[in-house]
Amino acid sequence: MSFLTPFFLLGALAVALPVVFHLIRQTSKEQTAFSSLMFLLPVPPRVTRRSRLEHILLLVLRSLVVCLLAFAFARPFLPKADSTGLPAGPGRRVVVLVDTSASMRREGLWADARARAGAILRATAPEDIVAVFAFDREVRRLVTFEQWTSTAAGQRAAFAADALGKTSPGWNGTQLGRALVSAASALEDVRTDSGPLPARGPRQVVLISDLQEGSRLDALQAYEWPKGTEIIVEPLKAKKPTNAGLQLIADADENERKPGEALARVRVSNSSDARREQFQVGWSDGREFVGRPQDVYVPPGQTRVVALNAPPMGAVAERVLLRGDDESFDNSLALIPPEAARVSVLYFGGEPATDTAGPLYFLQRAFPSTRRQVVQILARAPAAQLLPTDTGAPLIIVTDTLSDERTASVRRLLTGGKTVLLSLRNQNVARTLAGLLGKESVSADEAKVPSYAMLAEIDFQHPLFAPFADPRFSDFTKIHFWKYRRLDATQFPGARVIAKFDTADPALLQVPVGKGTLYVLASGWQPADSQLALSSKFLPLLFSLLEQAGGLRSQVTQHTVGDTVPLAATNAAVRVTRPDGTSLTLGAGTAAVIQTDQPGIYTAVSGTVTQRFAVNLDPLESKTAPLPVEELEHLGLPVTRADGKTLVQATEAKRQLANAELEGRQKLWRWLIAGALVFVTMETLLAGWLAKRSEQPVQTA
Amino acid sequence: MISPADQAGHASGNLIDPQALMAIRSLEMRARVVVEGFWTGIHRSPYHGFSVEFTEYRQYTPGDDPRYLDWKLFARSDRYFIKKFEDETNLRCHVLADNSRSMTFGSRGISKAAYANTLAATLAFFLHQQGDAIGLLTFDEQIREYLPARHRPGHLRHLMLALEKPPGGAATDLAAPLKRIVEIVRKRGLMVLLTDLLAPIATLEKNLATLTASGHEVVVFQVLDPAELSFDFTKAALFRDLESGRQLYIDPDAVRADYRRQFGAHCQAVEATCAKLGIVLRRLTTDQPLELALFDFLRERMNKGKLVKRRAA
Repeated sequence: MSFLTPFFLLGALAVALPVVFHLIRQTSKEQTAFSSLMFLLPVPPRVTRRSRLEHILLLVLRSLVVCLLAFAFARPFLPKADSTGLPAGPGRRVVVLVDTSASMRREGLWADARARAGAILRATAPEDIVAVFAFDREVRRLVTFEQWTSTAAGQRAAFAADALGKTSPGWNGTQLGRALVSAASALEDVRTDSGPLPARGPRQVVLISDLQEGSRLDALQAYEWPKGTEIIVEPLKAKKPTNAGLQLIADADENERKPGEALARVRVSNSSDARREQFQVGWSDGREFVGRPQDVYVPPGQTRVVALNAPPMGAVAERVLLRGDDESFDNSLALIPPEAARVSVLYFGGEPATDTAGPLYFLQRAFPSTRRQVVQILARAPAAQLLPTDTGAPLIIVTDTLSDERTASVRRLLTGGKTVLLSLRNQNVARTLAGLLGKESVSADEAKVPSYAMLAEIDFQHPLFAPFADPRFSDFTKIHFWKYRRLDATQFPGARVIAKFDTADPALLQVPVGKGTLYVLASGWQPADSQLALSSKFLPLLFSLLEQAGGLRSQVTQHTVGDTVPLAATNAAVRVTRPDGTSLTLGAGTAAVIQTDQPGIYTAVSGTVTQRFAVNLDPLESKTAPLPVEELEHLGLPVTRADGKTLVQATEAKRQLANAELEGRQKLWRWLIAGALVFVTMETLLAGWLAKRSEQPVQTA
Repeated sequence: MISPADQAGHASGNLIDPQALMAIRSLEMRARVVVEGFWTGIHRSPYHGFSVEFTEYRQYTPGDDPRYLDWKLFARSDRYFIKKFEDETNLRCHVLADNSRSMTFGSRGISKAAYANTLAATLAFFLHQQGDAIGLLTFDEQIREYLPARHRPGHLRHLMLALEKPPGGAATDLAAPLKRIVEIVRKRGLMVLLTDLLAPIATLEKNLATLTASGHEVVVFQVLDPAELSFDFTKAALFRDLESGRQLYIDPDAVRADYRRQFGAHCQAVEATCAKLGIVLRRLTTDQPLELALFDFLRERMNKGKLVKRRAA
């Protein structure tokens, strides 16, 4: 027998009341006034016959009435075998998604998450199928549906809790959207599985997360949430809300650093539910501040940019520390400025570098040094020997006739994958062109130009001219060509004419040679031939060419945890030391990349080359203010319970409802009330009879 | 614990039963009944002749007031004698009646207060008839009524009215009223204190000493209820202290012996204290006839008179 409101059973304690009243009445019935109690001492009352219970039957009857009433109010019912748990049917399919992002490192959150997950796992029914996924930047399947079903029913919760216990929050950002999509698809997959798993039953995603503002939800934008899959959010609440984070601001300035300029700028952001606004930022040695930290005032939900000047003498400006907030997981920033990439361009030309009318003069000025890269022009005379370092240059520019031997070595480089730009300064260079193409000869007659020639029919689809595709930049008519050499495109098999003169002669040709690419300019950029070097198009064109040659790589200035960082390519084995001191060795010849998993400074040593790079926390992880659950609802997710009710409580509520229904059908309380009334009647009759019996002797006396 | 006076009263049989006396509603009438009955008895008493007058002859010496020369004696004996009168002052008596709550206790239908007030009225009536000045002070923890000692027509009536007022106070505090009466009454006289003396003995002694120290002659009537002496309750009950309101659950059978012993000790201590201070102490229970009290009182007065006479002789 079960009870709907078992607390009313406490009312049965009222049985003791008649006895207690009887005893109290015995002790305090009579009161005698006396002039003075100064000669009296208190004496405990002796138990006399009067304080003993008389009329035991009456007492029993009254007690029975009280007990029956208490029982009736407790609403008893007889549980049926099939109504003990949830209504029978196919079990639920549940994916428990546990957040292991860096923001979960906050105090108490992980323990709370594990406790909640444990409670949910314990509350599952034997017919339920559960998978446990952990997610941060990626989704990790801790317990799959197959593992769950292959485990004995009694040990599933313990098994899953154990699997969860082996993991812990890492340093990655939160890809909440991706994780939800992955969980939903996992649930979908179970349905399509034709194994012994049930095809029907409710599907649930239980999300155990701190739901911080910095969670990325963009993956949900284009995802249509499957119908019938419910999301149950178990939000975790941090004990201390104040959290400020650091973010390095990328140096947008291309120019070289000026003396006295700030070494780095960091953005200090404060969470929107923070209680404190005063923080300190300064250089650090990893643990404490080095030198004087700067005081920063950041109101909740806002950000401030702090310029950090050079640290005191002797200190290394590699780490920035933030103090003043409650959580320390995102208070350190590693900072290693990327080194400028050194790119060399091999130049073959006959003229001296000081010749202001020569092509080299303009070329050398076309590549200024920036913070990102330093382009070095390796000017070589047409007859000079090639140095070993010269072969590393991705781009080779030829403006003069080379010797056959030199032509052959350049052709080797060209067929090996390099890019060569040949400028036909005069007809003689055509011989070199023929040599590079592996032909006997190439005709390149001097064109007859009435006054000047212009570029027409430019292929803006070509990567070289793609930057000029916009109509604002596509005007090349201002560049006049005084002289050019007429080339016949048909001479070059596979050649692509990128630009033509207005005379329909090709101006710029792209010819594939082996693995490499040969660009042939039918003119020169020096003022004697054209206005090209003096035009605003010259520099972008050269940079575009260098980029095509593979000399300029887009550089990633900052790495966040989880990024794959390419290492300097060498042939030796690479030994990588992680920020926490552990190291690993990558064998020679393997893909020289490393998957980062913690913030800090990594050091990769390969032979004589040492590469250091900084990896930082995803700045969004610092946005720890709770994300409103409505955000998820706006994305079309059926968030059913976000009211703080746990799954266990929800199950309990359901069970209560079923019990209430059962009790309503049985209505045992009616019988109990009826029984109580019967006993009341009996008590009344008995009491009346007893009273009469006790009166009679008095009357006769 | 039955006093000899009690025995005498019961033996004589012609004394008025207090129960019957208390049936008389008027206090004055009660006093009159007691005193008149007493007079009828006293004429037959061996102590008849008590008087305060006394005369003496002394040989005249120059300087004496010639007005007091007894010329008749001079005529008879041809000698000068001064006729000297005993200083015939009226007795100034103050009756101090305790009206505290503890006096309202009464187990035989008569409260101690009623008994004490009747006694006060009786004494007042008797002394008034003798021509003495009589005053009244009723008190509980403070003075309630004060009438200075006078011998005037109507004074007795005021006195009776004051005595008829119901007791309203709470605790007995002898200290304040006695100190006050000593301050008010400068002239030495007789103080008759009617109380139950149910207070710690140390304070009692201090309070009574203030009275005697100022030269007053003190007579104390300790009015008690018979139940207070015998503690003859039968039922165990919650006993409530009339003065403090304190409640105590008491089984009389268990505590009776102890109570009697303690109460006896207290009475003895009171007697010892009174003896030490030269106070005449009479213990009365509310079932004793009032005449006995009056009789005792007069006997004490006479003894005192004898003592004075002896000293004068």
